[in-house]
Parts: sequence; structure tokens; C-alpha cells
Amino acid sequence: MTELSMRRPASRSRRLWQLLPKISGTALALLIAAVWLGPILLMVITSIKSNADFLAGPFSLPGSPTFKPYVDVWSGLGFDHLLWNSLIYASLGSALAVLLGLIPAFALARFPVPGKKLIFGVLLTGLMLPQQTVLIPLYDTLRAMHLLDTRIGLIIVHGVYGMPMQILALRAFMTTIPREIEKAAHLEGATDWQVFRQIILPLSVPGILVGYTLNFIAIWKEFVFGLVFLNSEANFPLTVGMLKLNSDRYISVFNLPAAGLVISQIPIAILFLLTYRKLSGGNFVGAVKG
Amino acid sequence: MAHYQFESDVRGPRAMLAFARQHTFVAVFGIAMPVLLFAAFIGYPILYTIWLSFHEWNGMTPEKKFVGLANYAYLIGDDYFYTALANNFKWLVVMLVFPVSLGFLIAYALRSRLVYAATLLRTVVFFPITMSLVAVGLMFLLILNPLFGAFDTILRGLGLGFLVREWFGDYKVALYTLAVVSGWAFTGIPMIYYFAGLGDVPKETFDAARIEGAGHFSLIRSVALPQLRPVTAVVVMLTLFESMRAFDLVATMTKGAPFGKTNVLGYVVYLESFWNSRFGYGATLSVAILAISLALAALVLGKVLKGAFDD
Repeated sequence: MTELSMRRPASRSRRLWQLLPKISGTALALLIAAVWLGPILLMVITSIKSNADFLAGPFSLPGSPTFKPYVDVWSGLGFDHLLWNSLIYASLGSALAVLLGLIPAFALARFPVPGKKLIFGVLLTGLMLPQQTVLIPLYDTLRAMHLLDTRIGLIIVHGVYGMPMQILALRAFMTTIPREIEKAAHLEGATDWQVFRQIILPLSVPGILVGYTLNFIAIWKEFVFGLVFLNSEANFPLTVGMLKLNSDRYISVFNLPAAGLVISQIPIAILFLLTYRKLSGGNFVGAVKG
Repeated sequence: MAHYQFESDVRGPRAMLAFARQHTFVAVFGIAMPVLLFAAFIGYPILYTIWLSFHEWNGMTPEKKFVGLANYAYLIGDDYFYTALANNFKWLVVMLVFPVSLGFLIAYALRSRLVYAATLLRTVVFFPITMSLVAVGLMFLLILNPLFGAFDTILRGLGLGFLVREWFGDYKVALYTLAVVSGWAFTGIPMIYYFAGLGDVPKETFDAARIEGAGHFSLIRSVALPQLRPVTAVVVMLTLFESMRAFDLVATMTKGAPFGKTNVLGYVVYLESFWNSRFGYGATLSVAILAISLALAALVLGKVLKGAFDD
């Protein structure tokens, strides 16, 4: 009897009633989404307003959309330089980090390296270390090596400080690669280098891509190292160059800083759209979980 | 084949030497090189900072004057230090309450199919992870502007005009403004970690509790949170270090104003070292940040993460 009544299809009103929690949950979710999406949309809208439209209030629609703010802020801040510099730092810095991290990750994933626990502790420290703790010595070292205020100096710093994350992430990825192929290769007399080059490296490409992308974004966002180790505007990355937007010259009418923000975010937004399924799937979470 | 070891342990200098001879490539590029890089770029700087904290140095002259514990004595009497330290803790509390719990609730709602439009929600909350804090800071400077800002306009439109404050000018509010903005940018991190963590919890665990008639509140309390303890430990660690090294938003939005009430430790280090040329004292403050961060981290790790990195 109970079985029968459970199988009876619910009436339409009853089904609606059951959906009510999900509908109200969705309403709340949309409200939350608005809090996260709203500011960004607002910046995009503000960035194409004329000065007159801006004075009509923050939510007025751009009556006559204009790209003049983009033109003005592009030449005023020299966005071609800033974008190029950020691209150089992010692409080469994370490439260096991956290069430095690959073989240590291989070693940790496949060999009985002594003191593994200590190594993970040190890596985590390097990962989370407050940058301020090392600013002064790094500044001093870079100056001694004549690398202060140079692009190459900043790339090296980014590469070395990206290494801990790469080691952890790549090791986590490599441990998921089955060992049978390598064992067979070793029976054939393959060296460690051959195993790494011909088996592990090709199979690690998906992990490398995720690690590289995350590091790219991290360097794109980075601010402290660029601020302290660079002096000439020609070397500034976006984050440091954009500080100028918070000055009377730019912030009196919001369309200029808004346009600057949009410009700085476009490359990374494209990268995000291409990769976020991979990134938000929690791939990098596994790295820190060990 | 003996020369490819998977299982055996390498203990003692002789075994290590044998290992290095058999696996020269791994030993050199996999172990020695990263250890050297670590020592040079991370280990040495930390030790140097500690060493420098006992000295006086203006950053230019070659000689550094040994002053013993003078910098630490100064630290103990420095009001700026205490303000900044208190601000870091307030920042941490805001971060633990707002982005971490909201991130968890969003992840839970997504995993238990409580909402439609789940992908939209996940995407927009995650997106700020790709924004630099300089960009986030500039954006909220515009949105919270007292004259042309959108936020005050919304409050007034909802009849909540009495809540409007000078978000950056009011010394009682300014720091919380920064911390909440920082939380806005950070929420995607706990969300993603909890989202992944909840995916690892066996479905049966939830189903069993649900059959016994557990509602969402008790599901969260007696199933989800206990199962997610290791994830929570990682999230709390990340939040902790994110709060202790807060810098970018302060440098972008307030520069410590009003009256140094929004100073955080990271910003005071920067001011003292690179603006006031008191590198010795800057180093002392750096040591304080490191010590406090590590102490808090040890607290979290010791409690929850026991053995999480064993193979």
C-alpha cells in the first residue's frame, strides 16, 4: 500500500510545492551572483560613458556610447608597455617555474627521497610565505647582482617563487600516472632521463598546462615584487602601472579608470573563459591536499 | 632490476651516496638543484632578515650597525605595530567569517543541487580570483565613492540611507571596508576547495543521513563539516596567510589613511624599509609577521592536518 502511494505521480501543484525550496534557493543564488557580477558589469558600462553620461549617475545608461575613455587612458598610462611587460613576466616567469619544478616533482613522485615530510613542509612554507618577509634581502641580492629594476631579475624571482607550487602540483599529477610502463622501460634498460623524457613528460602535459595557467594568473596579479624591485616605468607590470589611476588626474571622471580596469582584465578574462572549466574543477586543490 | 627502486627507503649517508650514483640525473636536477635554489632565494633571505633585525641600516651604506635587541625593544613600544597587528587580526576574522563560510555554503548548495543556474553562480564567484587586488581595489574605490559611487546610491534607493558611511574616511569603518573587499575577491578560493572536497565525500554518507530524515542544517553539521576537516584546515591556512600578508589593497586604496588606522603589518614593513629607510626595523617587523604566521599555522596544522602529507 505504501509502496503504491509512493509510486503515484505527484500532482502538478504538489510538484511545484516541492520545487519551492529550489526556486527560493535560486533567487538567493542570483542575488549572490549579482553581488559578484554587478561591480564588473558596472565598470564595463561606466567605461563607455561620455563625461556627461557619467554625471547623470552611476546607473544611468550610456546615452551615447564612446570609446574615448579607452583611447585616453591607453595613451595616458602607456598600456601597450604595461600589457607587454605583464605578458613577459607572466609567460616567462611561469615557464621558468614549470621548468624548475618538473624534475623535482618527478623525483618526489617516483623515488624514495629522504626527508619527504620535511620537504613538503618547506615547500608549503615557500608557497605561503608572506612576501614581506623576504623583500629586503631579495632587494639587496638583486642589487648586488645588478638585477634590480630589470625585467630578467623580476622573471627569476617569479620563477623561483612559483617553483614550490609547481613541484606540489606536478608531483600530485605524476603520482596518478600508472607505473607499469616505466617498469617495463626499466627492464629494457632505460635511464631515468629517458623515462622522464619519453614517458613522464608527455603524460604530464595536462598537469603542466593547468600548473602553467595558474602560475600565469598568479604572476599577472602579483604586485609587491614589481612595486619594490622596479623603478623605471618602462619595466612596470600592469599592477604597478595602474596605481596611477588612483590620482586626481584620472579618478575625477570614472570612465577613465573604469576603461583602464577593463583593458587590464581583458587578456586574463579571455584566458579564464578558455580554461575555467579545468581550473574551477579543483585540479589544483589536489596539489595542496597532498 | 635493482637500480630502479620504488619501495625501499634511503637512509644514512652511504645509502644516499649509492642513490646519487645510481640516479645521478634525479639527484642533481630533482633534489640538489631545487634545494640550492630554495636555499639561495627563500632560505637565505629569511635568515638574512632575521640577522638584519638585530641591526640598524639605512639601505645605502655598506656597514650595518649591530644594535642587539634595540629594534625589538622599539617594536614592543611602537603604537603603529600594535594598530597594524590588531588590523591583521580583524582582517583575519572578517575573512574567516565572510568568504570562508559563504564559500562553503555556495559549494554545499551547488553540490546538493539546491539551486538552478549553478554554473553561473560558480563562474561569477570564481572570476575575481583572476583579478589583481590592485584592479579590485580601484574598482571598489569607484563603487564606494561618496559622491558618484554605486553602492551608496543602492543603499539610499532601498531606504537604507542611514547606513551610508565614509567607507574610506571613517576611521572606525575603513579597515573593515578593505577586509570585506578582500573577502569579495577571495570567496572563490574556499568555494572551489569545498566544492572539490564535497565531491570526494561518498554519496552514501549523505544518503544514509538523509534517509534518517536529516535536514540540510544537520547534514552540514554532522556529515559535511566533519568529513571536510582536512579541507577546512587547508582553507583556514590559506585564509590565514592571505590575511597576514595583506598589502595590495591597502597600498591601492588607503595607503594607511586615515591616521594610520588602516595600516597592516605588510604595509608598515614597506613604509619603514623603503620609505623611511629603516631597513633594520623593517626586518624586525618582517620577523614578527613570519613568527605570528608560523605560530598560527602550527596551531591549525597540529590540530587538524596530522599525517595529511604521508604517502
